[in-house]
Amino acid sequence: MERNINLLFYLIFNFIYVLTSYSQVSKVEVTTNSSGNFELKRNGVPYYIKGAGAKDHFDLLVNSGANSIRVWSTNNKSLLDSAHKHDLTVTLGLHVRPERSGMDYNDEYAVKGQIEFLKNEVLKYKDHPALLVWGIGNEVDLKYGNFKVWETIEILAKFIKEVDPNHPTMTVIAGVDPSKVFHIKKYCPSIDILGINVYGSIENAGTNLRKFNWDKPYIVSEWGVNGPFEARKTSWKAKIEPPNGLKADQRQRRYKDLIEKDKELCLGSYCFLWGQKQESTATWHGMFLSNGNPTEAVDVMQFCWTGEWPKSRAPSIKDISLENIGWRKDHILTPSTQATLNIEFSKYNNTEVVVEYVLYPEAFSNKIGGDIQKSPDPLKFEILNQTDNELTFVTPNSRGAYRLFAFIKNERGQSSVANIPFLVK
Amino acid sequence: MKFILKIFILTLNFCLLSCGQMRNVNLYEPSKSVSEFEKFPYKILFTGSEENGLWGLKNNTCKSISFETTKNYIGKDHLHINWDASKCNYVAVGLKWSNYKVKNLEPIIESSAIELRVRIDSGEISNVPMFFVLSDYGGKQCRANINYLNLEGGKIDTVWRKILVPLQAFNYKKRGVNMSKVKELRLEFQRTGDIHIDNIVIVQHNHDFHKTNDTSVKAFYSWPVQLGIGREHWWGINTKYSSCFQFGESFTNESVLVDFKKSSIDPQWDMFGFSPYCWKRVDISSIFSTSAIKFKIKADNIPKIQAFIFSYKGDKRRIQKILNDSNFINKENGIYEAFLPLKSFADFQEFRWDELKEIRFKILEEAYFEIGEFQLIEFRGNPKKPTQWKGI
Repeated sequence: MERNINLLFYLIFNFIYVLTSYSQVSKVEVTTNSSGNFELKRNGVPYYIKGAGAKDHFDLLVNSGANSIRVWSTNNKSLLDSAHKHDLTVTLGLHVRPERSGMDYNDEYAVKGQIEFLKNEVLKYKDHPALLVWGIGNEVDLKYGNFKVWETIEILAKFIKEVDPNHPTMTVIAGVDPSKVFHIKKYCPSIDILGINVYGSIENAGTNLRKFNWDKPYIVSEWGVNGPFEARKTSWKAKIEPPNGLKADQRQRRYKDLIEKDKELCLGSYCFLWGQKQESTATWHGMFLSNGNPTEAVDVMQFCWTGEWPKSRAPSIKDISLENIGWRKDHILTPSTQATLNIEFSKYNNTEVVVEYVLYPEAFSNKIGGDIQKSPDPLKFEILNQTDNELTFVTPNSRGAYRLFAFIKNERGQSSVANIPFLVK
Repeated sequence: MKFILKIFILTLNFCLLSCGQMRNVNLYEPSKSVSEFEKFPYKILFTGSEENGLWGLKNNTCKSISFETTKNYIGKDHLHINWDASKCNYVAVGLKWSNYKVKNLEPIIESSAIELRVRIDSGEISNVPMFFVLSDYGGKQCRANINYLNLEGGKIDTVWRKILVPLQAFNYKKRGVNMSKVKELRLEFQRTGDIHIDNIVIVQHNHDFHKTNDTSVKAFYSWPVQLGIGREHWWGINTKYSSCFQFGESFTNESVLVDFKKSSIDPQWDMFGFSPYCWKRVDISSIFSTSAIKFKIKADNIPKIQAFIFSYKGDKRRIQKILNDSNFINKENGIYEAFLPLKSFADFQEFRWDELKEIRFKILEEAYFEIGEFQLIEFRGNPKKPTQWKGI
């Protein structure tokens, strides 16, 4: 009997706990601390964003030490619910259509329709317990020419101030630039935080914001390795992607030396991308492979967020070459001939690793700013000999641009990848 | 006699009945006016698969299309489309719209809209990645999307909701579409979705929205042009972080006092810049070839500086030039006037002079000076020997 009463109390307690935790809106505010540095406070407690642009792998994200995710639009409420269950907060994007998608900011009808739609989205989500910051627009400045877009951003930010005093407003720009800083300062006074998506340009971002007189806090809303748009190209315009091991080193340095050190203005960051996407290649920005396996970038982020490496680390490819010519150079081969690819990798504490090679046609794309790109399908090719470090294969019969990928994984599926584009002619 | 009486009575009845039904008419009664909308004969695009022709109905890995006969809004069936555009370049359904007859939409553009009914099987969504495309007989296309303002109830759910797409919402002017010779309507689908569609018709609609003027551009057609007016349009001057640059007071318009040492705390902080005009896209394309930037320097010696000009658009967005003695005239008392012809910049021909963004200066050596009073002036001399032109 006593046991049953205990069980009943336990169930009631759990029910109330779940009910209250889901109905509790967090109060998030931008303040300055005793050192004069900007600080985000969530329910009165300082909150430094250790975040990722993420839609899944939340268990691993939390275990790696993260506390927040960034999503780019309001079209998936389950993401917020899932984040909340994992005790993650969310910087929630309001998708303000960029001019490059065909939006005309001189068109009153289109502008008003978008504003009313997004106002409705604000009302839908403003009381979600996972909500941390509103991200009003993402890279609306990329290749734009009509500065009226900032009026839309301000109307939305002002509306949020009216209906949701609990969450700060942010707008996110692609790279730091004096004209953008001017426009946001002048035309968007209701914006509390500047979000900056910076890849190669992260190196000078903090200094540049100060040069351009940005005097509010900022969040590094997307950061990672240098993007395809910044990469060197081969003579046939294929983007040259560094091996994952080098990219992981770059991530670590940027977090430790640039993001973490700016205590004065930076409220935290969202690494890009805790997942996988096609952007020139299937492996450029993603910290996971398309099969869901985590790469060494995940280990690096755990080190950045917690100061400790995971017990089991992914192997890491540090170098790749084709016909003894390094990955930075052009590789031009003849059809149906024998060629050799070499990789060098760090095994770390793994006893066994599995290496796999996959050939793809080159995926040329003129899309920009993270716009959706389609992944090519792999091609069959003849392998003559394969070891952990070397692959001897027959080049394709057809002339054209290709890209050969080397994948390596340990027993737990932790992986690394590198690729080399080559031209058959 | 009886017969004659009968005839008389019948005639009288006829006359009385006829008189009762007569009405007064004006001799010149105007004919009833018929609106352009009423005159438009092709108002129905789709009410059912038997009545209206469609193309693009073949199912593939990206789309599944069927005509469902239950829960119709109107007619015997309706269109049900389920799509995933991630593996296809193009997912669309075309409406032959009165069997491809030439439709003249021009008279009804301002008073009409495409109306359709949509629903989904379950849940609720507030937008759908679906676009409306009108194509003319020249192959040109214009498009419009679903606007929240004309989505009934602001959502799509399990009941038939009305969507209106005003004809004015199509970007036909931008795309050069001949709206007097429209061929068909296409429904294009992106990303993923699953939707029921019925009753696509043309209806009367008052579209009370306008296109506003572009305010992002400022064009100049004559000289002089005062450049960089207003301190808010300058950058690089932030004394909280760098003492290299601060605003000066020696000149009438904005000026910068430069105290640059290589050993500064941040050695990268060696630049400042400003917008020619309020960070707008400045268009000087009609005068750039006979223009020079003129400014003043107050210094003991001419400093070593490099000038940059940036544009908002174009393949070549930055041009630059290191100034030398030939750019300066000594006006005595430590004042120098500088002349920088735009044609003296390398690659100036590749630069978008209709998209001018910023003028920037980099300090190349340790220096102490004040620089300001920037203007764009007329210059018709030799760009390589600017100070020798007698017009300055």
